[in-house]
Amino acid sequence: MSILSVRSIIATIPYAAPVAFAGLGESIGQLSGLINVGLEGMMLTGAYFALVGTTLFPGHFAVEAGFACGTIAAVLLAVISAIFTVWLNADQVVVGTAVNLLALGLTTTLFRDHYGQSGSLISLPSLHRTFGFDALTIAFLLLLPMSWFLVYRTGWGLAIRAAGDYPPAAESAGFSVRRLRTGAALIGGFMAGLGGAYLVLGTTATFTENMTAGRGFLAIALVTFGRWKPSWIALAALFLGLLDSLQYQLQATGIHISAYLLQSLPYLGALIVLSIAGTGSFAPKSLGIPLKSHE
Amino acid sequence: MKSPFLIGSIAALVLLSGCLSNSSPSAANPKGSSSSKQSGSFKVALLTLGPVDDAGWNALAYNGLQAVKTKLDAQVNNQVASGTQIKDALRSYAQQGYNLVIGHGYEYNAPAFDVAKNFPKTDFVTSSGSQTAPNLATFRFYLEQGFYLAGMMAAEMSKTGVIAQVGGDKVPPIASTFDAFEAGAKAANPKIKVLTVYTGNGNDVAAAKRATESVIAQHADFVIHQADNAAQGVFDACKEHHVFAFGANANQNDNQSGVVIASAVINADPAFVAVAQDVKDGTFKGSVRLVGMDTGAIEFDINPKFQAQIPAKVVASIQAAEAAIKSGKLVVPKLNF
Repeated sequence: MSILSVRSIIATIPYAAPVAFAGLGESIGQLSGLINVGLEGMMLTGAYFALVGTTLFPGHFAVEAGFACGTIAAVLLAVISAIFTVWLNADQVVVGTAVNLLALGLTTTLFRDHYGQSGSLISLPSLHRTFGFDALTIAFLLLLPMSWFLVYRTGWGLAIRAAGDYPPAAESAGFSVRRLRTGAALIGGFMAGLGGAYLVLGTTATFTENMTAGRGFLAIALVTFGRWKPSWIALAALFLGLLDSLQYQLQATGIHISAYLLQSLPYLGALIVLSIAGTGSFAPKSLGIPLKSHE
Repeated sequence: MKSPFLIGSIAALVLLSGCLSNSSPSAANPKGSSSSKQSGSFKVALLTLGPVDDAGWNALAYNGLQAVKTKLDAQVNNQVASGTQIKDALRSYAQQGYNLVIGHGYEYNAPAFDVAKNFPKTDFVTSSGSQTAPNLATFRFYLEQGFYLAGMMAAEMSKTGVIAQVGGDKVPPIASTFDAFEAGAKAANPKIKVLTVYTGNGNDVAAAKRATESVIAQHADFVIHQADNAAQGVFDACKEHHVFAFGANANQNDNQSGVVIASAVINADPAFVAVAQDVKDGTFKGSVRLVGMDTGAIEFDINPKFQAQIPAKVVASIQAAEAAIKSGKLVVPKLNF
């Protein structure tokens, strides 16, 4: 199987999708000036509650129930996070870290409580897939132009970008930066929850403790990598997914390169592309700066 | 409220207060560890590298601990500890007067060697590792024997001539079982091709599935794993592509995927109970306790559901090899670590 065949690209989609979902939501948050370090925790929460939803409502709509529970739980976490970062001007990195720890502790405790100490490997129903595509990956393809339109062609999008670049400008145009950022944070939470739920119900059909394994952090990096542009972020996710697939194929050939080195191939690839592309001035100017500092 | 950092810290405290005892799996003191139950003064503790709900390597240690609890009326406790937490965890159990502390993994051996000197009243056992002391013994589970038989079976039954192994972290105990799988396969069919991939993470079930799909794409039709919690990813990929899988560490034949044709199993209960009995009796010796098929600690369990699909010839050759291993005529290669 060649690495760039249509088949291998399609096979990569379910693995790239969780990161792409989370990255897309995070890009809107970042454009409004919020950096959500808690993305990993929100994905993990979305993943765990997708498991909960699916097991609570077995039957015909189990998968849908899973997605609903996963996204609701992640949005709730985003609300908590936004209260601190947007309305109380707290340090975004510290709050994000707390969100990650909370999510890891909470999901681990609840999982062990429900599924026992020595556990069992869980099998869940999953999304129906035709020719490698499922309802959510198709929805994602529609989300790309929609989010581009929302951010770059609507008044709300302009206000969001103003909130991220120079909040006083948005304020003097009559927008509430706090409301804009809260909205963006909730969209980010929803998409992170969707990514986490997809990891459970689309990619793997199971749940394990801490199964997001750094994908939330990867999504944050992808936003920079994709220059805050929805389609670039999706392509970047696919690119990393292909590199990941390539490294497994290289390992299987028995090539005499350390497995550790090969496992880092996707990240090395991202680093190289970033350094070639240069940092530029794409980043929102007020990214990570609490509103208070501008007053 | 002037400093964003201060408010952030408060936010952190508020959020953390809900999960103080569980801020990470490593700090977890999980439900089910029965430290509160006073049942005599004989105290046994277990440390695992990962959560014990993996239905595999960590779970079998937890089950062994429960066997010690019931058979020897011991007071037991268990925790997850990895990396820099290992020494602290070993020390704190010793300070609390535990008679026996079991570290279930190769990674515990060196830290236990350092800590054991300072706590002569506590006996330590690590699952694998080669350093011993008067109060430090190691288990050497000879799981390679089970993997060797799995390799034989895969090589004899493979239609494509390609079989594969998918691992989590590349650590010596895992690499050693993979070497044995390959040796068994080559013994049965010198022309067999064995693919090996590692994901680097025993929790990342998506990575395990991806890795398994990549070896299946290279025509592997039998896959064995050492992926701990992420094993379900291996089994699901095998199910989707209609190839066989082997279970490892625990008996995973009943996995819902329905693709596990046999399992290489560690049965830790007798080994754990035996070493705890030695500690209780005061006959504990700091030595390497090699436990293999001859004592029933290692088994190779063929899934009865697949009996009709396994040629009698294959079953016969596996039984012959198993008998040779038990009698010592066949010595399965293993790494020393």
